[in-house]
Amino acid sequence: MCASVKYNIRGPALIPRMKTKHRIYYITLFSIVLLGLIATGMFQFWPHSIESSNDWNVEKRSIRDVPVVRLPADSPIPERGDLSCRMHTCFDVYRCGFNPKNKIKVYIYALKKYVDDFGVSVSNAISREYNELLMAISDSDYYTDDINRACLFVPSIDVLNQNTLRIKETAQALAQLSRWDRGTNHLLFNMLPGGPPDYNTALDVPRDRALLAGGGFSTWTYRQGYDVSIPVYSPLSAEVDLPEKGPGPRQYFLLSSQVGLHPEYREDLEALQVKHGESVLVLDKCTNLSEGVLSVRKRCHKHQVFDYPQVLQEATFCVVLRGARLGQAVLSDVLQAGCVPVVIADSYILPFSEVLDWKRASVVVPEEKMSDVYSILQSIPQRQIEEMQRQARWFWEAYFQSIKAIALATLQIINDRIYPYAAISYEEWNDPPAVKWGSVSNPLFLPLIPPQSQGFTAIVLTYDRVESLFRVITEVSKVPSLSKLLVVWNNQNKNPPEDSLWPKIRVPLKVVRTAENKLSNRFFPYDEIETEAVLAIDDDIIMLTSDELQFGYEVWREFPDRLVGYPGRLHLWDHEMNKWKYESEWTNEVSMVLTGAAFYHKYFNYLYTYKMPGDIKNWVDAHMNCEDIAMNFLVANVTGKAVIKVTPRKKFKCPECTAIDGLSLDQTHMVERSECINKFASVFGTMPLKVVEHRADPVLYKDDFPEKLKSFPNIGSL
Amino acid sequence: MQSWRRRKSLWLALSASWLLLVLLGGFSLLRLALPPRPQPGASQGWPRWLDAELLQSFSQPGELPEDAVSPPQAPHGGSCNWEACFDTSKCRGDGLKVFVYPAVGPISETHRRILASIEGSRFYTFSPAGACLLLLLSLDAQTGECSSMPLQWNRGRNHLVLRLRPAPCPRTFQLGQAMVAEASPTVDSFRPGFDVALPFLPEAHPLRGGAPGQLRQHSPQPGVALLALEEERGGWRTADTGSSACPWDGRCEQDPGPGQTQRQETLPNATFCLISGHRPEAASRFLQALQAGCIPVLLSPRWELPFSEVIDWTKAAIVADERLPLQVLAALQEMSPARVLALRQQTQFLWDAYFSSVEKVIHTTLEVIQDRIFGTSAHPSLLWNSPPGALLALSTFSTSPQDFPFYYLQQGSRPEGRFSALIWVGPPGQPPLKLIQAVAGSQHCAQILVLWSNERPLPSRWPETAVPLTVIDGHRKVSDRFYPYSTIRTDAILSLDARSSLSTSEVDFAFLVWQSFPERMVGFLTSSHFWDEAHGGWGYTAERTNEFSMVLTTAAFYHRYYHTLFTHSLPKALRTVADEAPTCVDVLMNFIVAAVTKLPPIKVPYGKQRQEAAPLAPGVPGPRPKPPAPAPDCINQIAAAFGHMPLLSSRLRLDPVLFKDPVSVQRKKYRSLEKP
Repeated sequence: MCASVKYNIRGPALIPRMKTKHRIYYITLFSIVLLGLIATGMFQFWPHSIESSNDWNVEKRSIRDVPVVRLPADSPIPERGDLSCRMHTCFDVYRCGFNPKNKIKVYIYALKKYVDDFGVSVSNAISREYNELLMAISDSDYYTDDINRACLFVPSIDVLNQNTLRIKETAQALAQLSRWDRGTNHLLFNMLPGGPPDYNTALDVPRDRALLAGGGFSTWTYRQGYDVSIPVYSPLSAEVDLPEKGPGPRQYFLLSSQVGLHPEYREDLEALQVKHGESVLVLDKCTNLSEGVLSVRKRCHKHQVFDYPQVLQEATFCVVLRGARLGQAVLSDVLQAGCVPVVIADSYILPFSEVLDWKRASVVVPEEKMSDVYSILQSIPQRQIEEMQRQARWFWEAYFQSIKAIALATLQIINDRIYPYAAISYEEWNDPPAVKWGSVSNPLFLPLIPPQSQGFTAIVLTYDRVESLFRVITEVSKVPSLSKLLVVWNNQNKNPPEDSLWPKIRVPLKVVRTAENKLSNRFFPYDEIETEAVLAIDDDIIMLTSDELQFGYEVWREFPDRLVGYPGRLHLWDHEMNKWKYESEWTNEVSMVLTGAAFYHKYFNYLYTYKMPGDIKNWVDAHMNCEDIAMNFLVANVTGKAVIKVTPRKKFKCPECTAIDGLSLDQTHMVERSECINKFASVFGTMPLKVVEHRADPVLYKDDFPEKLKSFPNIGSL
Repeated sequence: MQSWRRRKSLWLALSASWLLLVLLGGFSLLRLALPPRPQPGASQGWPRWLDAELLQSFSQPGELPEDAVSPPQAPHGGSCNWEACFDTSKCRGDGLKVFVYPAVGPISETHRRILASIEGSRFYTFSPAGACLLLLLSLDAQTGECSSMPLQWNRGRNHLVLRLRPAPCPRTFQLGQAMVAEASPTVDSFRPGFDVALPFLPEAHPLRGGAPGQLRQHSPQPGVALLALEEERGGWRTADTGSSACPWDGRCEQDPGPGQTQRQETLPNATFCLISGHRPEAASRFLQALQAGCIPVLLSPRWELPFSEVIDWTKAAIVADERLPLQVLAALQEMSPARVLALRQQTQFLWDAYFSSVEKVIHTTLEVIQDRIFGTSAHPSLLWNSPPGALLALSTFSTSPQDFPFYYLQQGSRPEGRFSALIWVGPPGQPPLKLIQAVAGSQHCAQILVLWSNERPLPSRWPETAVPLTVIDGHRKVSDRFYPYSTIRTDAILSLDARSSLSTSEVDFAFLVWQSFPERMVGFLTSSHFWDEAHGGWGYTAERTNEFSMVLTTAAFYHRYYHTLFTHSLPKALRTVADEAPTCVDVLMNFIVAAVTKLPPIKVPYGKQRQEAAPLAPGVPGPRPKPPAPAPDCINQIAAAFGHMPLLSSRLRLDPVLFKDPVSVQRKKYRSLEKP
């Protein structure tokens, strides 16, 4: 409305007042300029298409127009392949030497078309899967386009399926690759090896020292630690979306879905079906399908028609029998359906068996025991079956689902062999994400009671309370197992007292000056800490007796992976406020100990300083509070264990601070501490603290027993 | 005038537009004219083909040949694999049964003791016909027992030839289909999944028990050498890794370690131990490093690592390529403290679990073969590779790690919140009515089992309880107390004697404590062991002292797994010891649990006055009068059978948080625990 009014005022005011002939002239000129500008703009905004069409002309980017290479009939053929090859004999590891990131670099040869002397093509065009595979490698971190920096070479000659190859000529094509050098550091991918009639279990193309990532290796052809056994990719998995089906009993106990089985095997399976009735289902190819129905996607039992692969989701166990080849694509379908594969193929090397623990996801039955397969499966407890179903589906998702997954897993395996100190662990390969999240791996997992002779290092954090500090030093130095005392001087404006003024004690005393007054300095892994046990102690804790401290150390020795402290604290869920609350005294339970005086393993200092999740460390330093709660969270989270509260002591009552110990201060204190708990719980994403109802006392504590015979008679009470 | 001004501004606008046009267009034209250069750094990658959609799949459906299965392949040229050369049909029933060929002629002491050890194990059978594995010991050449072919040879089928030291005998007969378990086999001759790789044991390796690992602390001591290198004559020297140009070719000997001058085999003191992969003798260094807690760094080993079929060596050792020394050195120097910590601990666990004695090595070998036979009910990898290890975590109990008490945390699971009370009623056979009431009163009690084990007839009436009460009758032996009865349905067992006396509150608190320590025994009354200088043996006492190492099983919580372990893994001879001297059963049970956990048991408070009034079990005292010392020798018999003393002492007791606290009794949850 407003705009149209303006137009009515201004627009007509400009143009109609000119002379008509000028008007037309100007309008034409203006439009030409405008058009020119628009054209230029378009030119500017699509520069890439113009540029790249320069490198790869539209015609050249078609697969049909790759350069043609003629292979003379007498060009060299590689050796057959050396069965004794191992990484340290046949692999040139020097090529992988440059890499600081512990990652191999992979080069892909450019695609070419190979023809023989008569101009006849050596092989079919590159397959869809091999193209995807090379694309996946090219998109990954492994890829390099610098042939001189590469450690692994992947030819673009597609040997996934041996049936499509002319063996001799393919071998010649390999031999003329620019860096072939007897196949050293070359990796070939093959899923369907061998040919009629006896179907070798490895690619028949002579390949000398080249590594083979093959589907369907047997123990006779697989070079352990050199070749990689890979799955036979099932193209169905790209077409069919089978949503994950939870574990549990299914309609059929055992199912066989393969077509083209050897009659002997089929007889065995049908005998099983006769014996066990409904719970076994043996499917075959459909013979009476109407036109237009894909026979690959249907299976039949007598006249009943089933959808494939959906029917696999109806079975608990699915048979994977060897056919002409050992490796079967059906394995992938079965895993996708969360059906536990029953692998009956003697000497078959299961895919990625170097790293995957197939015992957790499959049942391997020797061929001669095929008739017992039902009873073997029945002896497996239900819980283990469910575990296997989950594991099967996870293997498919992680390593079978796509050509990309297969390619990357293969490269990772080779990478782990070359940089073993940076290798991926068994758990990372095998544990499904849910297990990885739920489990705790205690960094101090070895049950070990450190010898008493090691003693502990006391770390006193201090600012300027010198008098109180000296009292603490004198008191702590009376503890028999103290082996060193470290004072962390957190005051940058003031120098620590002169050497001569410090109390003389029987153990070494070191003063460390810090660069900044931060609470986290108390938990820094100082080089001066030589013992495993650390006693963190505030510079005003003078009420703990020598017996109490020595006993605390003894308790730590029995629980070296826990925080061992004196006053205990508790976290509680406040139902009204719907958040965590900090509770300080008089409770029957504890979940934290104060680090005003606490023993713990020095490794937790390293974790606190370098591995504390999120911004907790900075947050604590900024708020000058809750470093002890943060430590409690950290230790509980990493070990999954509760703290140990020692002796009945409930608070550190210091005579100096009673004056400010007012009620209101106490309340704000509690509110702040509650906030800390809520903050930390949200950063950790969970509440790691564990609540227990016990504390540790000396064996004869308060027992009716002569005091002088007790080891730790002087245990304080409050 | 006005129109002129307007025209002027119009012209200005026009010319500005033209200028813009020329500038922009000119640039574009310029760019078109010059050939583009490939940008350095931007990699081209694999091209995106325009016709990628049209590509064919590598396998066409229906392409696969049908009915073309070749007959099962025969072993190639004498080579064997598990399916082809081992007949598992003989191994039905109770797992692996092993027959050992008796020695012919004079044999060495070691040989005799190994034979005895296998004969005492649960795998042993005395008839070759009933055995599924026939074991041929091939130990030392000089005694000459390895020359004859055994009677039941049958081309070596189902045979295992055990060679503790590499090839002592010239081969006088073809191995045929026999499996070979030998020390450090070369990678080329080793048949994975069929042969078993053993560690290279030194001459003086202990037969049983064995020295514990040397590691006394989890993390490396500050200032300890990073790297130790093996020396020709059996010692180790530490390498100065400060200068980066100092790999392990002997050029950097400026820092001779303490091991240099000593002839006898010393253990290395360093974080990493570098071991050459060429000489099989270096494999003995591998064991030394494990024992010392020095992380082995193996340079391109030509030999198979021991028990590589089941042990995940990546968790305890580093296998590196000898051709990249600088990279390996850099990787060791930069390794994170977390990884070093984990590797160190794993070396110790593996040493203690599988390598510290000849007996453990042999049992591990048999366990590996049994796992192959068991198939799906074999040990999962986790059981082999986490403490306490597969020899102590029986797969016959469960194949799910979350069923074992020691894997709860790792698995993110926890024990059930209920327990079963198992009350043993020995002579004189009074039904423990009061005890039943007290235990049944606990909110955590799931069931009560009464094990009637005396001459008197079963009472027909039992008290009414809130929980089911089952009576098991007919057993007389003391060791039956620890039989894994199928009627026990909870993880936790409260083992009781009919004469024990406990209050509900004591039971409740002890059970809560047990839930925090499900792998340990939690008991009320304790005793402790000591070394008796005068008699040169172990002794134990139930006197109250400042520390303890055993809890009495007449009132103790523990995991039901220990019943399985007690019954199925102990040699029969040991259980007989317990039956003959009933007080020994406590010692035996404490030994097993300590051998598994490597930790002391846990004591909880127990009302004193009743302790004086009614001693828990015969031979278990109040403070006075002094009891007759229980059969003193059983602890020594048991320690000898274990080969070492697994018991550890604790100096603490776990009390309720407010125990004997001056606060009001009303605040306390376990009031009755501290009534005078």
